[in-house]
Amino acid sequence: MRHYIKVELLRMLRNKRYVVFVVAFPVGFYLLYANLWGTESDQATGLRGSVMLMVSMAAYGALAAAMMSTAVPWSQERHSGWLRQLQITPLPGRAIILTKLVSSLLLVLPSLVLVGLAAVLTQHVSLPPARWAALILAMWAGTIPFAALGLVIGSLLPPDTAQPVAMVGMFGLAMLGGLWLPESIMPAAMKSVAHVTPSYDYASIGWRIAGGDAPHPAHAAGILAWGVVLVALALVAYRRATTRA
Amino acid sequence: MNAIAFTEVTKRYGDVVAVDGIDLEVPAGATVALLGPNGAGKSTSITMLLGLLRPTSGEIRVFGEPPRTAVANGEIGAMLQEGALIPELSVAETVDFVRRLHPRPLPLEEILRLADLTEIARRRAYRLSGGQTQRVRFALAIAGGPKLLLLDEPTAAMDVESRRRFWDNMRAYAAKGRTILFATHYLEEADENADRVVVIARGRIVADGSAAGIKAGVAGQAVSFLLGEQPVTGLDALPGATGVELQGARVTLRTTDLDATVAALYRKTTLDIRDLQVHGADLEDAFLALTKEA
Repeated sequence: MRHYIKVELLRMLRNKRYVVFVVAFPVGFYLLYANLWGTESDQATGLRGSVMLMVSMAAYGALAAAMMSTAVPWSQERHSGWLRQLQITPLPGRAIILTKLVSSLLLVLPSLVLVGLAAVLTQHVSLPPARWAALILAMWAGTIPFAALGLVIGSLLPPDTAQPVAMVGMFGLAMLGGLWLPESIMPAAMKSVAHVTPSYDYASIGWRIAGGDAPHPAHAAGILAWGVVLVALALVAYRRATTRA
Repeated sequence: MNAIAFTEVTKRYGDVVAVDGIDLEVPAGATVALLGPNGAGKSTSITMLLGLLRPTSGEIRVFGEPPRTAVANGEIGAMLQEGALIPELSVAETVDFVRRLHPRPLPLEEILRLADLTEIARRRAYRLSGGQTQRVRFALAIAGGPKLLLLDEPTAAMDVESRRRFWDNMRAYAAKGRTILFATHYLEEADENADRVVVIARGRIVADGSAAGIKAGVAGQAVSFLLGEQPVTGLDALPGATGVELQGARVTLRTTDLDATVAALYRKTTLDIRDLQVHGADLEDAFLALTKEA
């Protein structure tokens, strides 16, 4: 299975779509936004712009990585016959979904690390080491629901619909979660939608940790609930997609 | 031990019967062709052999074990009809990945050589031609060094030269005492590459034997003449004769050796033979006739 994970990582790192959306986008936008608003401070979180944007863009990159590395590749593998190819090897079925999940989590790391690096190098963001560790760990673990969502999409939809659905899901969640525009300037109706999205919970945890506070229990509970529901759904959808009469 | 054993295997999809009570035993070491037209139940049978489909009734054993156990032990390798590769991976990476999933894989170099891939080992999958992709899929099928190799219409996308090379490779793999079962709808392929041919039509086995035997029994030549009131007994004992059919006054003798049968007809019987006709059947026509009879 370790070799399987290695192969999965290798292929995604060679995938242009992954590299553009997941690595280039968040880092590029961070550099752009931080130059514009890096020195202002965010009213809602009290964070300096450069820090708040770092969390937002890292969150976007991580969310995108988790969904991009699962939904479409998985759907394609099911339809192209690659899954069958794996099913006729000694590899047990559960190893396939486990590998998908683990590789997806590993593929999240480049955007987290690169955006963080960009913040340190260009905006001289500095946090105490313990806070860095807590931030990266929380933002890493927090991508589990999004990877699971990607697997749900990939299990239920054929590749040509999985592609747009994953895209809309990814940008929708990023938008509603306040990753692209702050939740504080959203209209009231949008705000109430935003508050139930896992991406808002996810980013809020990051903002709080970056500001030196413990995550709000409501946000932690929110992402945990989403995580449990989506992982369960992913398992059910996976089983439905792989077993035959 | 039998590599493959089907016992009264039936597979239904709703009202459609894809496989209809098949009994089949394939001893280890044999190369068997599963010959039949599209929709005959070949793919369904192979899919069930891999445990990807469960029979509606009946039982399948692979080396005495349920199919999924044999797959988990790395005893079966298969090349199915559909099967894309991962576009971003090279030939060698793909083959090496799949071989490492098996407990007793062949060495990577040997697999690449057996599948004619050594020269394109570093090429990424999205840059391969259709024929090259087929060769990679053959490589994946043999990567684990399986004792039983299943090939479902493996040459479907290949040109004549690729086909010839493919079968050479297959024979090289089979030569080491491995069992091969391949599905095809080309009679010629079955004839040239298998030592036993199982003809399947509408989910049933309609003929089973050596390629020569099947050709003789079904596709072979026939001689017919007016028998009138004379006795039919003894005709099936003539040299080369494989079957006798009586239609009204005309009797038709199927034969594997037309010359011998006709000579014996005149020399060894006292029959009064009138209006002798020789029917030479085209192989494809005979095959069609055979599969329609079911």
